[in-house]
Parts: sequence; C-alpha cells; structure tokens
Amino acid sequence: MILIQDLKRYYGSGSTTVKALDGVSFEIKKGEFVAIMGASGSGKTTLLRILALLDDATEGKYTIRGLKVSSLPEAERSYYRLTQVGYVFQDYALINEMTAAENVYILSMMEGKSKKESYKVALEALDKVGLKDKHDRVPDELSGGEKQRVAIARAIAKKPDIMFADEPCANLDTRNSEQVLDVFKDLNDNYGQTIVMVTHEPWHVRYVDRVITFQDGVLVSDEWIEDR
Amino acid sequence: MIDDIRVGALIAGSSIKRGNKKTLVFIVFVLSLIFMNLVFLPSMIGGMTVLFTGFMQDYPYGDIVIEPTGDNTYINNADNVLQKVRAVEGVRAATKRLDVGASIEHKQNIVGVTVTGVVPTEEYDISQYPHIIKEGDFLGELSRDEIIIGSIISGTSTTFGEIYDDLGETRVGSLVEVTYSNGVKRTYKVKGIMEGNFELVDLNALVHYKEIEDVYGLDNGKATSVVVRIDEAGTEEQMKDKIREAGVNEQIFSWADKSETLIRQAMQSLGAIDVMSKFVGLIVGAALILIIIYINILNRKKEIGILKAVGITPRSIVLSYAFLSMFYVSLGIFAGLILYLSLMLYFQANPVVFYETMKIRPVIDPMLLIQSVFTMLTLSVIAGTLPAWSVSKESILKAIWGR
Repeated sequence: MILIQDLKRYYGSGSTTVKALDGVSFEIKKGEFVAIMGASGSGKTTLLRILALLDDATEGKYTIRGLKVSSLPEAERSYYRLTQVGYVFQDYALINEMTAAENVYILSMMEGKSKKESYKVALEALDKVGLKDKHDRVPDELSGGEKQRVAIARAIAKKPDIMFADEPCANLDTRNSEQVLDVFKDLNDNYGQTIVMVTHEPWHVRYVDRVITFQDGVLVSDEWIEDR
Repeated sequence: MIDDIRVGALIAGSSIKRGNKKTLVFIVFVLSLIFMNLVFLPSMIGGMTVLFTGFMQDYPYGDIVIEPTGDNTYINNADNVLQKVRAVEGVRAATKRLDVGASIEHKQNIVGVTVTGVVPTEEYDISQYPHIIKEGDFLGELSRDEIIIGSIISGTSTTFGEIYDDLGETRVGSLVEVTYSNGVKRTYKVKGIMEGNFELVDLNALVHYKEIEDVYGLDNGKATSVVVRIDEAGTEEQMKDKIREAGVNEQIFSWADKSETLIRQAMQSLGAIDVMSKFVGLIVGAALILIIIYINILNRKKEIGILKAVGITPRSIVLSYAFLSMFYVSLGIFAGLILYLSLMLYFQANPVVFYETMKIRPVIDPMLLIQSVFTMLTLSVIAGTLPAWSVSKESILKAIWGR
C-alpha cells in the first residue's frame, strides 16, 4: 500500500546540513498497524509528515496505492489530505472555536456532503471513539484523552486509506493513552484500518503488528510482533 | 466553490459564535470609529457649504440674479425686465438693485464700501436684509436721507471687529458723509445697523434705490442687478431657461453660478480639506482594518495550518476570513452609523457656532453614507482576504508552528 524508496530529507546546506532522513526504504501493506520508533531526532516524525504531504522529501520516491503522491500539485495534495489520509497530531490540533462534531464534520462538508449528512457521519465517528454524548462540547471542555479521541474521530470520519498518528499519546497519562490506543486497535482489528503511528513508548508495542525503528535518519530495524 | 463557501461560512460562524467577545467588541468599536472618521468631517464641511451658499441666496444673489450683458454697467430697462420676470410661472418675487462704490466718513474715520440701492418694501420678499437689523430700523419707502450700515463699518461687529477698518462708534442717529464714486457727497443719518455675520453683508451699506438714481442721474429704472426668488429650490436651471424664454436678454446666473465664482476659493479649500480628509480617512481606515484582521489572522495562524493539514482548501480558509472580516466591518458600520446619527442629532440641536452667531449644522448626505459603507465593505473583503491568502500560501508546518 505504501512503498518508500530511498527517501531523504535534508535541512540546510553545506557543512550545516542536517540529515533528518537519509535513504529510507520500506513497504507497508494494507491493514497493518505499524509503530515507528526511535529516539528524539531520529527522523520518525519527519517521515510521517512527508507521507501525509505536510512536508516534502529532498530526494527519493514514495507511492501510496501506486500513486506517486509526492509529485501532486498543491490542489490535488489538498484533496489527497482530505480524502485519503487521516492525521492525528501530538497536540490534538483541534479548532478551539468548533464543537467536537464541527471539528469532525467540517471535512465531510469539504467533501461536498450536506450538513445533515456530515453531522451523521461525525456522530458515527464520535461514537466509534466513545464520545457521541460529547459531540456538542468545545475542546476546552474536554480532557486531553477526549480531545485526542475527537482528533481520531476527525481522522477516521472520512474513512481514509491510511491513518498517520504522530505520538498521539505524548500528552496523555497512561489511562488516557490506553483509551486512545484501544481505539486504534479497534479500528485496525474491526475495520482493517491501516495505521502508521510514531511513538517512543516501548509499551505501545503491544498494540501494533510491526515496529520499524529509526536512528539518525536511518532505518535500523523492522520487526513483526507475533504476539500482540 | 459552493463547498468552499459552505466550509468558509462554517469556520467564520463558529469563530464569531465562540470567539472572544471582548476582542469582538474592541474590533467593532475601532471599526465604528473608522466609519465615523469617513463620514463626520465631510458632514461638517457639507454644513459649512450649506451655510455659505445660504448666505449667497439670502443676500447678494437670491436664487437667480440677472446682470448686464457685456461691458454694460447697468441693465437699461430693469423695470421691463422685472415685469417679464415676475410674469414667469414659478417666480416668487423679484427686485432691482444698484450697487455703487463709495467711501463713508464719520468723525474723520473713512471706510471704503459698496453701497447698494434697494427698494425697501420689495426686499422683505427677497433677502434677509430687513431681518438682520440689530439696532434701529430697516429703510422705508420715504427713507431718502437715511442709510443702513453694516456692523463692521459701524464698528459694532462682535465677529469681525478687529479685522477691518471701521467708522468708530457709529450708532443709530449718527450722521455719516458718503462720497460716491462720481464725487457726489451726501450726508445720511444712520437709520439702522445690520449684522449678518457675513463679510459681504456687514461691509455693505444700503440706501434707497431712488437715492442712487439721483446721485448718478439715472433714469428709466436702471439697475446693476435684478434679484429673483423662486418657488421651488433646485429648479434654478429650469427657471433660468424660462426667464430667457420670457424675453430677458441679460446675463442670467443661478446663486450657485455666482457662489462658484465668488466663494470658489473658499469652497475649493473646503473641498480640498474634504477630499484630503476622506483620502486620509480611507488610508487610515484601510490600514487599521488590515492590521486588525492581520493580527487576528496571525493569532490563528496555527488554526490555518491545522485546517490545511486536514485537507481544508486554502480557498475555504481565505473565504472564511473574508466572511469574518465582512461581519466585523458590518457590525462596525452599524455601530458607526448609530454613533454618527446620534452625533448628527446632537449637532442639529447644538450646532457648532462660528464667530458667535454662525451656526453650522452638519448635513447628512445619503450618497456619502452609501459610498462610505461600500468603501468599508470593499476594504473589509480586501483586508480579510489578503492576509489570509498570504498565510494560507505558507508551508503547513510553519503555519502550525506559528512561524
């Protein structure tokens, strides 16, 4: 589903060049739940941003379902982000002046659905993350875990091919982290949702199928978790 | 595009509904002041224009003034002209006048003036002269050795007193000696002192029309001007045509034509101030709206980055800020209008007083209001669109990081 070949991302130039990603290649198949791990500055978040078209690679090729997304013009990249990819940010990235439902259904409206239909889709997504009853709350009225679950609902409402999550539990305590990871696991197990999650917490490994580890911009290990 | 509009409206709507109300009130307050700045001074200048043009109608020119053609000093048969003019439908009143140059002397004080010969009984329907006598009385039909002098000449003007030469403390009953431009001297008793708080009036002197005829040896009803008042204001141009059609071959001017010539400079200055004020107001207004919206957008840069990251099109984002900006500006215009109309009401009741008696009441010009509303709304779209467009073109990550 995702094919990455010799992907590089360099910042700066000359002697000050920082090699955030330095020739990474791997493939992710549909329905996998992959954890990308590594120390801070290892390049894991950079990779995720490139795959979600939030940043550009310096070199290399990556395709999603055979489509060379890196070379899409901006309008199509925007459409791709809207329809094909779900992205969960570390700090939730919700719009504070919108309710949970509005944060979710704005994307359906962008896709051309009516407000009523979009609202229904949003409620279904919020239901999947256990927040249907809090659909009318604004982010300030939600806990950190709840905010992150709204962000997940936003990501899954459009039924994306693939969902990226950038350290989704970084700002959460263990109980809230477990709730969020349970949602991911449920989406992966029951809906076949492909998920690529960046994390540095070793205990998150028990939720995923596969762990890819980065160090200094280079892939150093790619392991399958047999018994999760 | 429809989806962009719907999403833009949703973003703007939620921002208005749940945004910081204190910020909203502050923005609307500032915008209302910008609107006020656009309309208030022009209204005051409009009031001044009305005041000055009112003077021109009430004293020297009436609604329409007929003057001699070419190099002629006089209209040769003014009575005939008056007869034709009075027969024209829509003419309320008309009179003839004789303006001559003279000097007035009193106790060795000499002042150069224009002396106007008037038909006293007719002036009541033509001008305000009979109604601005602050001491004594206006001329009567038998006033042959009497004169009305302006308050500046008499030395009693409270408005222009220190600017012009005067006759000293001339009072009603004082005797003054007038030397006309042809050298003839006459002594008159001051019958009244007039004060219109308008230099053209207060530097003038009035005597009976027949007195000027005598002094200059004129006959057959000569006049330097025939002053006409009409029934319906605003129809001066049509009335000019009608008077021409009635067989009057002299030069015919409306008060506006004459005002344009006489106070053109003053009006041009006021006009220049008006244009400058509008221009500066517009620039300041545009800059302020831009700054307000730009600061607002900078505070929401992260939000713009997030919206782009999840797939909202830049066009929706730009539209949302255009809507938001239009909403702010519409509220600002509304608040500004209330403020403006309140001030207009106040100044109608308490006019700005110039020279103690000249009362300037601001004029509400609907066209100016429409122009200002339109200008503000246009500015709001530009001010909302430009910064949002610029931010929406930035890299998503930079926007999210707020850089």
